[in-house]
Amino acid sequence: MKSFAYVSARDVPTAVSAIAGSPNAKFLGGGTNLVDLMRGNIEQPDTIVDITRLPLTGVDLLPDGGVRIGALVRNSHLAAHPLIRSRYPVLSQAILLGASAQLRNMATVGGNLLQRTRCLYFYDTAAACNKRAPGSGCDAIGGFNRNHAILGVSDNCLATHPSDMCVALAMLDATVEVESTRGVRRIPMNEFHVLPGDTPHVETSLAADELVTAVELPSVAVAANSRYRKVRDRASYAFALVSVAAALEVTGTTVTQVRLALGGVSAKPWRATKAEEVLLGAPATEESFRQAAAAELAAATARPGNEFKIGLAERTIVAVLRELVTKGDAA
Amino acid sequence: MTATAEPEVGKARLRKEDARLITGRTRWTDNITLPGMLHLAVLRSPMAHARIVSIDTSAARDMPGVVAVLTATDLDPDGEIGMPCAWPITPDMRHPRRPVLAATEVNFAGEGVAVVAARSAAEAEDALEHIEVEYEDLPVVLDMEAALAEGAPLVHEDLGTNRSALWVFDSGEAGTGGDVEQAISDAEVKLTRRFRQQRLIPAFMEPRSTVVDPTGPQLTVWSSTQIPHILRVMTAMTLGVPEHKLRVVAPDVGGGFGGKIAVLPEEMMAALVARKLGKPVKWTESRSDAMLTAHHGRDQIQDITISATRDGMVTGLKVDLLADMGAYLGLVGPGVPLLGAFMFNAIYKIPAYRFACTNVFTNKTLTDAYRGAGRPEATFAIERMMDELAAELGMDPLELREKNWIRHDEFPFTTVAGLTYDSGNYEAATERAKQLFDYDGLRREQQARRASNDPVQLGIGISTYTEMCGLAPSRVLGSLAYGAGGWESASIRMLPTGKVEVVTGSSAHGQGHETAWSQIVADQLGVPFEDIEVLHGDTQFSPKGMDTYGSRSLAVGGTALVLAARRVLDKAKPVAAHMLECSVDDMEFTGGKFTVQGTDQSVGIQDVALAVFAAHDLPDGYEASLDSDATFDPENFSYPHGTHLCATEVDTETGRVSIRSYVCVDDVGKVVNPLIVEGQIHGGLAQGIAQALYEEAVHDESGTLTTGTFADYYLPSAADMPTFVTDRTETPSTTNPLGVKGVGEAGTIASTPAVVNSVIDAVRHMGVDDIEMPCSPMRVWQAIQGGAR
Ligand SMILES: Cc1cc2nc3c(=O)[nH]c(=O)nc-3n(C[C@H](O)[C@H](O)[C@H](O)COP(=O)(O)OP(=O)(O)OC[C@H]3O[C@@H](n4cnc5c(N)ncnc54)[C@H](O)[C@@H]3O)c2cc1C
Ligand code: SF4
Repeated sequence: MKSFAYVSARDVPTAVSAIAGSPNAKFLGGGTNLVDLMRGNIEQPDTIVDITRLPLTGVDLLPDGGVRIGALVRNSHLAAHPLIRSRYPVLSQAILLGASAQLRNMATVGGNLLQRTRCLYFYDTAAACNKRAPGSGCDAIGGFNRNHAILGVSDNCLATHPSDMCVALAMLDATVEVESTRGVRRIPMNEFHVLPGDTPHVETSLAADELVTAVELPSVAVAANSRYRKVRDRASYAFALVSVAAALEVTGTTVTQVRLALGGVSAKPWRATKAEEVLLGAPATEESFRQAAAAELAAATARPGNEFKIGLAERTIVAVLRELVTKGDAA
Repeated sequence: MTATAEPEVGKARLRKEDARLITGRTRWTDNITLPGMLHLAVLRSPMAHARIVSIDTSAARDMPGVVAVLTATDLDPDGEIGMPCAWPITPDMRHPRRPVLAATEVNFAGEGVAVVAARSAAEAEDALEHIEVEYEDLPVVLDMEAALAEGAPLVHEDLGTNRSALWVFDSGEAGTGGDVEQAISDAEVKLTRRFRQQRLIPAFMEPRSTVVDPTGPQLTVWSSTQIPHILRVMTAMTLGVPEHKLRVVAPDVGGGFGGKIAVLPEEMMAALVARKLGKPVKWTESRSDAMLTAHHGRDQIQDITISATRDGMVTGLKVDLLADMGAYLGLVGPGVPLLGAFMFNAIYKIPAYRFACTNVFTNKTLTDAYRGAGRPEATFAIERMMDELAAELGMDPLELREKNWIRHDEFPFTTVAGLTYDSGNYEAATERAKQLFDYDGLRREQQARRASNDPVQLGIGISTYTEMCGLAPSRVLGSLAYGAGGWESASIRMLPTGKVEVVTGSSAHGQGHETAWSQIVADQLGVPFEDIEVLHGDTQFSPKGMDTYGSRSLAVGGTALVLAARRVLDKAKPVAAHMLECSVDDMEFTGGKFTVQGTDQSVGIQDVALAVFAAHDLPDGYEASLDSDATFDPENFSYPHGTHLCATEVDTETGRVSIRSYVCVDDVGKVVNPLIVEGQIHGGLAQGIAQALYEEAVHDESGTLTTGTFADYYLPSAADMPTFVTDRTETPSTTNPLGVKGVGEAGTIASTPAVVNSVIDAVRHMGVDDIEMPCSPMRVWQAIQGGAR
């Protein structure tokens, strides 16, 4: 680990001006990702701006019925919050299926948004990795890529964004509020993470000097009938091979509202708009669920190590929708 | 005097050591801090096979806090020091020298190449990044069969081969049974299968740590080890430190699972650096280093042929193993397959048997003992084969087993592998397990699910296992060329106030010796449980011991304890008689009291202890001490056994396996503390299930360990485990006075085949007859898609 300077910020202006002056600085949230990366010399910031004391820890109801979540709310706190549990159960579920209790107690909303991939070559400084060392190549292509992406991949990188929380946020059409010395911006969740293209080291539309201050959830009535399902190799402490966040409203036998997002399949939480289009107005049958899933995954590209994910994603979509129909009936 | 009323042995006592262990307020090696102590960090090779062209340590030396940066040239200039292997299984076994630090060549990713000594652990760690090593790639060989092929790259060029040794047992030649080739060629039915025992990582909770103090009259080594006594002898022999100038201490040790039956290069390195710098040093590894460099377990390819008659009598068993040693030989690594060699025939009366094992070098972390060592591999193979044979014959797998197993009235029974099983009752354990499991009900449900084409299929897996425990009769070890004996020692010191100090030569690292040993001594001497202190793990007060592994501590060390206690009583009796003014022959001992037969005159043992201490009035010529030692060398192994039944639900659409119910009925002989037995069974089951479903150490084609953290290495969590139903039958062992057998490995040995058998059973009708471990959703799904292997 390289040595670094440490700055503790007590308010947002101090935090953003501290980072404005040093291009190699990093914010420190719960540290559950950043510190690991620094230990492995994958990230080598020269300055750490500790933001854990910033007053961004509220979960508040907005006048329009939405909810505003401070960037420093801890994951476990958010998952347990009554507003979230009652209005956005999918978000609670997603968070609770991630990491471990200890990690969730530390991890913050901002840090979760900005956590980095779990590609194993990214962590191995002896391996070629365009994300860590732009232009060096990608050892995952042709290597061990079972956990890697099948949607929106490029020839330069197959990494996935590993977050569970973000999949639910994408499904809920969240907005990310960010702030720098230049002012405040609001970024729709779907534009927050970006696909690798030729620049896999660029992962978000956040500028290096911008601080995430909050995430806002609009009021989403259909979210009351929502569900997060995560498929993984062990029942806790494992990242998603595939995950699905979905919300569904069926009137009569017709799908009248639907939202669908996938995790573990792309460099960003994948909002499944094609599937949504197929489903909206269609009969709520196994048949349409399958068609919708197939429509979404038609564009998938897999490698020999991760081709199973296409079928797995399709089946998981169908299973979750099926469950929501039954659950919606019961409710 | 207080005398314990009901016997201590058999009581579910809470473990007296737990409060300090689980709060961490104890002597873990890493908690030890000595004045002026330096911290060590090791630079490890990222390459699996390379020549070291140059090492430049100059920049690292200038880093803050750094006292020294040392390489092989500094620590062992003549290249003489080699890590010991205590088990030369054949006279011609190839045993390459494993240096403390690599000098000219690295042979696996993780091998140490340099060490930094600094004032703090962080400074030592930081300085590592400033050591420049230039490597020149050498070809890497990772797969055992590739390693044995003509023209394969060689791990050790000078050996001219990657084969370390070939070891063979043949019942025809040994005179313990018939000729297996004959049996197979005559057979009505024969089956051949290849099983792969994947590589596993013994994930002990406390990473390894060593502190060495060179400043006292003796060189003192504290280490998180299972084997302080063996470590002392081996350090003396490896480094040439006179044994009486060495003290080795295993303070509290946080688990081992076999992973700490090792003499570490880091331990030798720490001793060398401490002596060179004249200061105490500490080395504590990170979790990542533990996963990469602590020896791994299993990693065998098993080719098995079984032959039988049409009506289900097994006639022969042939086993050909390849065992991956990794890049060097570990302390007992070459012998691990041999611990299985006598177990493939398991509980069955098999007339002809042959076992051959080839130990192979590859550019990977070395393998050595891991919970069960050799026996889980053997049990897996035979129990899988019994299921396959049953399927082939169209028989119920339990019925096939029953047909072939040793009946309870046939003990003692000498097996085709030459062992004599002293006792057992397979019928009783199986009957009990069937009841608890509702075997017949589950079979009916299985039929129904098959008939309705349920996407979730049900499978039932069986494992009727035995194991050899209580390692080990020294004579047997000698005949297998093991470098030491298998006895254990115990000492009992009666203190003046009647309290008791017990010293055992076995070395607990989480098993609960302090509690169980106190229970045994409390009964033997009739003193209260609370009045007994059990000490272990320090060669200064416990100079003799063979340490802890192979479910041996109770069967061997516990027996030594009983013998020592009897000697205490023998010594106390004349004093008691003298005090009561009667003849020794009139004395009776019960409940801690010597009583004159037929009277109410008595004296307690704790009062006798005071009288002996005072020594004012002892029988003429009496040697004033009750203290006693004993060493016990078993004449035979002990043979725990049991029946494990597992029901799994396999989602045929996703390949996901979930354990629906798990019943085990184990016979571990007499039980000293049921709580401890239960704990050992639960932990063992989890570890065995982990091999069946979750864990695998994977290397990529360059030899990099790709499962080097708990995020990639699927050690299961409690959330992955079913609720276990456990029960016991109790057939006392006849080879030791306690009647105990050992329980440390039973769960691990039995559960892996039970689980895999159940997975196969769930999807056998879909054309699947094997799935390689771990049976991950992907493998299961692929097997179903493939309709066969
Ligand atoms: C073993 C393990 C298992 C895990 N399993 C899962 C899992 O199953 N599912 C899952 O979703 N996650 C999982 N995680 C990831 C975990 O969720 C993240 O590590 C965590 O959310 C990161 O939050 P943090 O506050 O600790 O971030 P930090 O480590 O503090 O920061 C991460 C990054 O975000 C930046 N950052 C932090 N806050 C801000 C801000 N307000 N504005 C701008 N930048 C900011 C930091 O500079 C840094 O680059 C796992 C992690 C570990 C270690
Ligand atoms: S997939 Fe992306 S992160 Fe992984 S090695 Fe390739 S470039 Fe690096």
